[in-house]
Amino acid sequence: MANVRIDRLHKEFRASTGAVHALRELSLDIADGEFVSLVGPSGCGKSTALRIIAGLETPTSGRILFGGRDITGLEPRDRNIAMVFQSYALYPHMTVRQNLEYGLRKRRVPKPERDRKVAEIGAMLQIAGMFERKPRQLSGGQRQRVALGRALIRDPEVFLLDEPLSNLDAKLRVHMRAELAALHQKVRTTMVYVTHDQLEALTLSDRIVVMNHGVMQQVGRPEEIYSRPANRFVAEFIGTPSMNMIEGEVSIEGGRPVFNGPGVAVALPEAPPRTPGGGQATLGVRPEDIALVAPDAPGAIPARVTVSELAGPERFHFVSMGGGSVIVRTPASTVLHPGEAVSLGLQPDRLHLFQGTGEDAAALR
Amino acid sequence: MPRLLRTYGLALVLLTFVAFPLYWMTLTSLKPQTEVFRVPPTFLPATWTLEHYVSLFRLTDFGLLFMNSLKVCLLSTAFALGVGILGAYSLARFRGRGKEAYGRLVLLAYMFPGALLVIPLLLLFRELGLTNGHFGLSLAYLTFSLPFVMWVMRDFFASVPIDLEEAALIDGATRLGALWDVVLPQAVPGIIATGIFAFLFAWNEYLFALVLISDESLRTLPPGMMRFVSTTDTNWGLIMAASTLATLPMALAFGLVQRYLVTGMGAGGVKG
Repeated sequence: MANVRIDRLHKEFRASTGAVHALRELSLDIADGEFVSLVGPSGCGKSTALRIIAGLETPTSGRILFGGRDITGLEPRDRNIAMVFQSYALYPHMTVRQNLEYGLRKRRVPKPERDRKVAEIGAMLQIAGMFERKPRQLSGGQRQRVALGRALIRDPEVFLLDEPLSNLDAKLRVHMRAELAALHQKVRTTMVYVTHDQLEALTLSDRIVVMNHGVMQQVGRPEEIYSRPANRFVAEFIGTPSMNMIEGEVSIEGGRPVFNGPGVAVALPEAPPRTPGGGQATLGVRPEDIALVAPDAPGAIPARVTVSELAGPERFHFVSMGGGSVIVRTPASTVLHPGEAVSLGLQPDRLHLFQGTGEDAAALR
Repeated sequence: MPRLLRTYGLALVLLTFVAFPLYWMTLTSLKPQTEVFRVPPTFLPATWTLEHYVSLFRLTDFGLLFMNSLKVCLLSTAFALGVGILGAYSLARFRGRGKEAYGRLVLLAYMFPGALLVIPLLLLFRELGLTNGHFGLSLAYLTFSLPFVMWVMRDFFASVPIDLEEAALIDGATRLGALWDVVLPQAVPGIIATGIFAFLFAWNEYLFALVLISDESLRTLPPGMMRFVSTTDTNWGLIMAASTLATLPMALAFGLVQRYLVTGMGAGGVKG
């Protein structure tokens, strides 16, 4: 068990087109026993960061410390880490038992102890009945458990997981996600989890690191990331359906800040944390923060339904207003028909405002 | 139906092309000397005889030649696999400046004609005291078997998922440990196939064996068999008997490992 300090980690790959910055000055402190997710689109540097922690990749500059000990130059085998790969990477020619105990053999753990640990892990992950099978004779979920077991059996200081659930079908993925959460509750090892699935990150993590183009965008608890995204990229990446974004301008009218977009004028709360000095801005509002209101309600925005989708217990309505389109989330009982005229009400205290319109537009409130 | 016929017809033509010389060789070795030259030729011997095989062992040193060949070929195949596997693995896995150029150089070395190498090698080996020895000859065979092994095994290693090695490295293995424990078992079919081909090249090699070995007691099969040809007379029956026996081990080897050559690599460890 150890805390992990990532200190100004930088990684460049040399390519024919010049240097590619996979990771730019990543700094992060992970507490002992914490579950931290690195999340972002493919190519954002999350896997590179994990591979550098594992020792499979050498950083261009920066350091990694486990429990205060600088391990940047150590070989993977000297780091006391364990890793679960997206492909599981089970040794195909070995049985489940041989797969599980390979790491123990390499560390010259005596046979009685190996047998005890294999039995213990087998019971914990419910794979005890398949010790003599080869990986190809296992189902996807069973392989996943063996891969987890092979990592757990060594009592690693740090547990690294690289998209471990992405090869499972949807139903099994939800199941294994819950098992993984329960497992972390039980073993309390420091875990670093890489995923492109924001839902996995939200459900599993103590803290989430959102990354894009090799740059850390925001670190925080899942609820912080969801309710107070630091910039437009984070706001759009986290949450399904995505946060609605309306581009426009902020101006001061009658002493109060007002957002003006195509067909939308929203008075912002009187005392925003930071008042923009006017100019281009993006208004963000989550689909669940848009209400259907009476046409004569104050601030009501006239709109028209284009498509309405039933998603189990709720409905997503695609609504056009002004020049753009937004998604509104309602309970399934709210039935709207294409072409129907509606009025939208935005809750002022649930609005997000970003300075500028690019994906790095910083949150103003 | 006509398509099926065409496919099998074509296969039959190819089979004849490949198999007829083998068939003729075996038959000739089983015909009495008088029947070998009969016109029109007999496609099945009128009289079956083992006389050539008997005289092969009675009158010639075929047994010695065979054992010499076996020794040289096993030695050179072992060298080629030992060095070639490490080299191919490095070419497949390590990043480095000039790696691609080096890989192409290996192919170039493989295509280099032996006839151009044999004289410089002879001069070099004489200085080093490596002529007239099986060790030296097997080293000389590395000039073609090593590039071959490296070229083919590189692709085999490249097809082994890199995750497996990385998992082994994290589990506590060294580079060589990961290669031995995890990568080589996946590449066994490739190693067997490449090894057999490396052996075959050495087994059939004539020029190096002729030039680098002058001691009669150290001769290998191909130059040794040439002594059955004299200026006045060629004993075809004897040559065919020797050729048949020389072909037998390779045919057996291919038969035994055919299963390996067609079975894919152990699927299932990764995705699947």
